[in-house]
Amino acid sequence: MNSPELFIHIVLLLGLAPLVSGCIRNWKAKLQNRRGPPVWQPYLDLEKFFRKDMVISENASWLFRAVPFVLFSSTILAGLLVPLISVAAPLSMFGGVLALVGLLALGRFFLALGGLDPGSAFGGMGSSREMTLSAIAEPALMLAVFTVAIGARSTDLSQMLMAAQGPTWKLFNPAHVLAFAALFIVLLAETGRIPVDNPATHLELTMIHEAMILEYSGRYLALIEWSASIKQLVLMALLVNIFFPVGIAPIQSSAGALGFSLACLLAKLMALGAAVVLVETTNAKLRLFRVPDLLSAAFILAALALLSTFLFQ
Amino acid sequence: MTTLYDPARILAALQPAFADLTDRFGSRIQAIEAPRPNEVYLQVQMDLVSGLCAQLYRKWQARLVSVFADDVREAAGVFHVYYVLALDAAQGFFVLRVPLTPEQGKVVSLANALPAVNWQEREIQDLFGIPLGGHPNPRRCALHDDWPEVHPLRKDFDVKTALPPFQGERHKFRKVEGEGVFQVPVGPVHAGIIEPGHFLFSVAGEPVLYLQIRLFYTHKGTEKLFENLPVSHGVRLAESISGDSSFAHATAFCHAIERASGIEAPPRARALRTVCLELERLYNHIADIGAIATDVAFVVANAHAMRLKETVLRLNGQLTGNRLLRGMACPGGVRFDWTTEQIKTISNFVRDLMPEFDSLVTLISESSSTRDRLETTGILTPKTARDLGVTGLAGRASGFNGDLRRDFPHTAYDQVQFTVPVYQEGDVLRRMQVRIDEVRQSLSIIEQVLARLPQGPVQVKVPDLHPGAVALGYVEGWRGEIFHWIRAAGPQRLARCKIKDPSLQNWPALSEAILGNIIPDFPVVNKSFNLSYSGTDR
Repeated sequence: MNSPELFIHIVLLLGLAPLVSGCIRNWKAKLQNRRGPPVWQPYLDLEKFFRKDMVISENASWLFRAVPFVLFSSTILAGLLVPLISVAAPLSMFGGVLALVGLLALGRFFLALGGLDPGSAFGGMGSSREMTLSAIAEPALMLAVFTVAIGARSTDLSQMLMAAQGPTWKLFNPAHVLAFAALFIVLLAETGRIPVDNPATHLELTMIHEAMILEYSGRYLALIEWSASIKQLVLMALLVNIFFPVGIAPIQSSAGALGFSLACLLAKLMALGAAVVLVETTNAKLRLFRVPDLLSAAFILAALALLSTFLFQ
Repeated sequence: MTTLYDPARILAALQPAFADLTDRFGSRIQAIEAPRPNEVYLQVQMDLVSGLCAQLYRKWQARLVSVFADDVREAAGVFHVYYVLALDAAQGFFVLRVPLTPEQGKVVSLANALPAVNWQEREIQDLFGIPLGGHPNPRRCALHDDWPEVHPLRKDFDVKTALPPFQGERHKFRKVEGEGVFQVPVGPVHAGIIEPGHFLFSVAGEPVLYLQIRLFYTHKGTEKLFENLPVSHGVRLAESISGDSSFAHATAFCHAIERASGIEAPPRARALRTVCLELERLYNHIADIGAIATDVAFVVANAHAMRLKETVLRLNGQLTGNRLLRGMACPGGVRFDWTTEQIKTISNFVRDLMPEFDSLVTLISESSSTRDRLETTGILTPKTARDLGVTGLAGRASGFNGDLRRDFPHTAYDQVQFTVPVYQEGDVLRRMQVRIDEVRQSLSIIEQVLARLPQGPVQVKVPDLHPGAVALGYVEGWRGEIFHWIRAAGPQRLARCKIKDPSLQNWPALSEAILGNIIPDFPVVNKSFNLSYSGTDR
């Protein structure tokens, strides 16, 4: 991994993430017969948040101020573990799937602390809900990725991709179909989408992710929003790249190959985004106590996927 | 016993109940007046009220729909406290009038037996300074705890009085204690563009143990303002009591004025009023159906509902010059007649709306995830609903079989056929179902009215009011029954206008319906009632 590729990777993470959020928001509006905000609205929002003054509760401690930075850097680090347009992820030598899950969990842990710290009722509610749900979502995520890892005989995502591009790989392996379904549910939960959470609501009492960040404003809010969209991009890229490793540039490839790879990535992200939009539009939000059922379903799917890797070997 | 009006004038259907009351309490009833066949006033002493109410409740299935006071110290040296009892089956009202001396008078609370009057009795205490005896929770209500000792609805209180900055006590909420119990305060300022109201949830984890609702943040002294306005301006004020029920409130007010002056709006005016009332019901019900879908994040349905609501609002604008039907109502009829072309527009509109509304309903009813959220959520049992006197659509979803349009036909409702949907389950789904059924009924009512639209004037002149004349006006608004009770001061002036919005009656039911539900379900339960803050606070 050389520095231009690292640079491209980081630029993609930072630059592409708001666009993905914007596209999903815009398409959702289109499906509801609304005009919707332009796809670049999240960039304008970020720019606005960075310009604005912050209002910070007088009950907030240093922890509250540290959270946006910890969250942002842990999310970026997690992003550097996932191959985007080249099979070699910039930080793959430092860790694989376990590190990815760990880094995301670290960010979430701090975000939950940030929700609790100012002592407002909504923040505490959001934090408790988020931690409850993630306790089930995380194992499902790990199991699902392990399914692929077993096939590749490595938990390193770059290794997994290289194995995926190898000759013995079957695209519609039953184990992979199950694991993909599990990961898709986890994606909905982790990115706060309907039917788990509603990113567009103004009703504090129903919020999960939004409730935790209600007390944040200005630059801190910008960092948190940006982290949330980066996390969404990372999870989506993980999903599309390990299950559909089409067109990803091999190590040390030319600029042309990287460009082709980028186009493939965008196409795959758009397809996955469209699937998310469809789910969000055709479903109502689940009752909060039903969400664990959904996530358990994801966990069971992932467990079955793991089992079937041995059965169909 | 003095009889000021011929008892023979009393509505035939009310006679049995009337005879029963006079038999049983005859000598203790001080005076009887029947200014209108279905509105009978019985003057009694305070100690007789609970007996009379109990008899009317148990034997004649009466409902206590309004409790209020009136300051007549200047003329008679006393306060009057009124109890309005509606006998749905007999299509009539008994109004108990209780004189109370300013020195010793005391309202004996009925709230222990009839929780439905809890807030209304406390309001009398706040606004008139008449002490309240035997009330389970005689704290401040309409005027918050920090108000100075003033009683704005007394005649000697000038509406222009400038009060010093409030420095009184802060409200003390009830404590709920236990392991893991914590409080979630919400409001009074909310995230949406809505009015203020404070909700204090006591929760153990997610389930709600207790909900305290504190309202009256937007108390505007509307009832006092009526006393300073000529009747013609009063209509405009009535329109602003609760924005989403502009026409219903204005019509209830006009109805009271018309009854007080002994006239009736001409047939064509009554027909047009009926159409307007149904248009108001249409746009509110459709919007609420969409809003309930939004609160469970089924946003597509809301997008469709908002589009349909907009078409109704535009029709309203086209017909009356105002999207919320303001400026249409006036005593003696309606302000504008509609041309044949406009009538045709309405017919076409109704015909086009029906299939569109059906497809909206299909969209919602075919979404199993939405149904899962709404069914068994926020159950208000029929028993609780009866105890709290819950009226209107919320009541009908919880077994209350009453609708003023059917039971006390006003405007042109006696000319049309419709059914009143009643459900027993009392959950959010049923409150939405009542709305869906009523939208269909409304469309049919409009069609029926237009098919047999009478010709003739749309307005008659309202003769001057007799000083001292009293009358009860009533209208079934989209939310429930609206009552306006007036007492005339002069030919064009009112001495008292009491407004009863169904929201005042139904708010406490929300605290009951949410018990045992989880806190993220509160918004949808609240939306399924969709009560007015402004109509409650006045």
